[in-house]
Amino acid sequence: MHLNDPIFVQYFYWVQGIFTGDWGIALFTQRNVLLDVQEFLPSTVELIAVAAIIDLLIAVPLGLVAGRYANSAVDNGVRILSYIGIAIPSFVVAVLLQISLGYGTHLFPIIGRLSQTTAPPPTITGLYTIDSLLTGNFGAFGDALWHLVLPAFALALGPIAQEARIMRSAVVENLHSDYTLSEISHGLPERTIALKYLMKPSLIPTITIYALDISAQIGNAFLIELIFNWPGFSRYGLNAMLSKDLNAIVAVVLVAGIMFAVANILVDLVVGYLDPRIRLRGRSGE
Amino acid sequence: MKILGLHERTAIGRMTAVVVIIVLLAVVGVSAYYLSTTSTPPAHTTSSTTGALASGTLSITFANVPKADPAVGSDEAGSAALANVYDTLVFPTSAGTLQHDLATNWQVSSDGLTYTFTIRQGVKFHNGDTLSASDVAFSMNRLTTIGQGYSYLFAPYIASITASDSSTVVIKLKQSFGPFLTALVRLYVLDQKQVEANEVATGTQYGSNKDYGSAWLLTHDAGSGPYSISAANLESSMTFSAFTGYWNGTQPNQPSTVQMLGSTSSTQALFSSHQIQITDQWQPYSTIIALAQGNGAKLATIPTVNEMYLMLNTKAAPTDDVYVRQAMSQALNYSAIVNNIFQGSKPSAGPVPTSLPGHNSNIPASAQNIALAKQTIAKSKYAGHLGDYPVKYFWVSEVPAEQKLALQFASDMQQIGITVQVLQQPWLTVVADLAKQASAPNVVSIEDGASYFEAGSVLQSRYTSASVGTWEQNEWLQNSTLDHLVSSALSTLDQTARFQAYAGVQTQIYNQYPTIYAFDVYEARAYYPTVVNWYAANGHPIPLLGYDFYFRDFQFFPSQLSALG
Repeated sequence: MHLNDPIFVQYFYWVQGIFTGDWGIALFTQRNVLLDVQEFLPSTVELIAVAAIIDLLIAVPLGLVAGRYANSAVDNGVRILSYIGIAIPSFVVAVLLQISLGYGTHLFPIIGRLSQTTAPPPTITGLYTIDSLLTGNFGAFGDALWHLVLPAFALALGPIAQEARIMRSAVVENLHSDYTLSEISHGLPERTIALKYLMKPSLIPTITIYALDISAQIGNAFLIELIFNWPGFSRYGLNAMLSKDLNAIVAVVLVAGIMFAVANILVDLVVGYLDPRIRLRGRSGE
Repeated sequence: MKILGLHERTAIGRMTAVVVIIVLLAVVGVSAYYLSTTSTPPAHTTSSTTGALASGTLSITFANVPKADPAVGSDEAGSAALANVYDTLVFPTSAGTLQHDLATNWQVSSDGLTYTFTIRQGVKFHNGDTLSASDVAFSMNRLTTIGQGYSYLFAPYIASITASDSSTVVIKLKQSFGPFLTALVRLYVLDQKQVEANEVATGTQYGSNKDYGSAWLLTHDAGSGPYSISAANLESSMTFSAFTGYWNGTQPNQPSTVQMLGSTSSTQALFSSHQIQITDQWQPYSTIIALAQGNGAKLATIPTVNEMYLMLNTKAAPTDDVYVRQAMSQALNYSAIVNNIFQGSKPSAGPVPTSLPGHNSNIPASAQNIALAKQTIAKSKYAGHLGDYPVKYFWVSEVPAEQKLALQFASDMQQIGITVQVLQQPWLTVVADLAKQASAPNVVSIEDGASYFEAGSVLQSRYTSASVGTWEQNEWLQNSTLDHLVSSALSTLDQTARFQAYAGVQTQIYNQYPTIYAFDVYEARAYYPTVVNWYAANGHPIPLLGYDFYFRDFQFFPSQLSALG
């Protein structure tokens, strides 16, 4: 383990191990940490991806409506919902959803990724929804999706509330901007104004926060995965911390950092696409 | 403000349409799932050699997902998994005796150093390989080489193990060890060929054996037991399927599939909605009671081989005085503890749990007698100035119920003039403080128990000098005479003589009052008796870690689930 070597030599061995597939042995699972990452990361990625989709599908329309009808009853309603969403921790939402829609009404399963009677699809990506579709197993697809609803919604609620507020502010600001009034006075179709000239610039701050929220979800999912007995990477990270499993903790931090960096690069690209000023500045080398 | 209204609504309408389409897709998917589950016949319903398996999945929560490598697993979940997946040479019974399992016969040399086992012929592993004596030798060598799990039971004693032919194993010991046969319930036999085929050159290496198949065995099995591992996720659950080729056949209504889940925050909801049929024991007792009062549910209180000890430091004032220790043990209100704090548990009787073979039944059960305690403490050298010697009491913060035990102790000791300083300590701090005599408290409450099915296990780990400075002994006895007596008892081959020797050791320890024997630990679980007929809950437990969950002896009636409402 090179514990007698200086710290920078130990660091060199660690970096070397990362690139050669030797991530060290996890005390918790007693196998190569890389194997753990390969097994547990896909389920968390799937959960976060579905949460991100739910987040986008709800936050943007909510913000648009609230901004369009600013200071109206609709706006106030969305505002209250947003504050509630921001104020209630995701694990409380998770437990409430589990009790009401899982235990109380039996509409959704309480725990796990699949029902006991459903065989997991063959591993291709590790994402059950994708793998089941790729293998044509629609039963498993539906079951996996059914299991995703509650944990993904619990995970998405906080970001929805936050991004809806940001979207609303951006819409209000852009609605009163000179270029919007100019477009109106030039007689551009309202649909074009709404979707191309109002929605796109309003999405820029929302998307920036959206990307940060997604990359932070690996940490937010710690308790969600615990509550829903979701065999994911966040739960793995939680167990690693509780058992002071340093190799596993380092891997969790490393993967979370990579996800954060990748999400930020992606958001830069998306913002560049949405905002021509950034794109043009990049081309002119400014 | 109304300029964009119509087209905004159009845009929102399109988004809504997209959402509706996605929801429809999901509904179609879920419908397809329902159709597929209702049209597919239940799995694992093939008839067996002796009894028809019960279809459906019996689900049970444990503290954690089992570590099912025979050289690694040793906690409750791991021990339960190993008992089902692997065969052993001998098998424990609820009467505390051993029965033949893979070993059909054995001889022990007169000096107790050589054991010769005849191995059952025709036993098949789950993959179809035939089990032979060399697999037994391989399994022991693998266990002692890896040095984890139950290795400590064998490593100090094994000199060699050889397969003289396909049906004979010879084990030579370095020194005589009377309970050796009993300890063999922890030697789980693996398929050498299958393990070697799955050895990889990553992880901890063991020479030519590479990783000894450790990574593979965490999620697969190489056993011949009544169940095989059919699915494993180390974060959530492990699923076992009945092995229809088991050499001893299958039992009527034996569950075809069993799922062991790690304990979750949702255990209550899962049990109340009948998705699990037996809870783990780690829920708060009030929760277990509430669940057991649900429709069709019942409380199971099952004896263990663990005991709650209040370990008294015999080297620190005032507990260095035997009269103080004796008075303390007389003053504690044991009935309040077992009736109000650790409900379901039973009063202890001496240093060995009463359910453990070799317990000395002549030692009386612990009971409170304040008048006698006052008379006893009057004989102490600290009588009259006990106030100058407050008693430092540690309780482990990870077990909240221990706080109540500490407060009960403090309250009772007040009646005989002893002041108790109750201190909550994290487990790691307790371990660190018990390592040195100077930092060890006067009293610490710790649950401990036997590793194998004999009193000698507890006597050795709790009271010999070898365990001084570990969490297993705050008494600091350091008594060479006692060490010799325990060692002598353990090396006695004749069981009757060995048990007599154990009894003598227990009496000697008891008379020194180094410990307050608070209670014998009973584990409490909620379960559905009409759905699962569980021998341990019906008064026939095998109080050896893991063996209360030998699924082959369960009877499962999943059709009764619907009757629970």
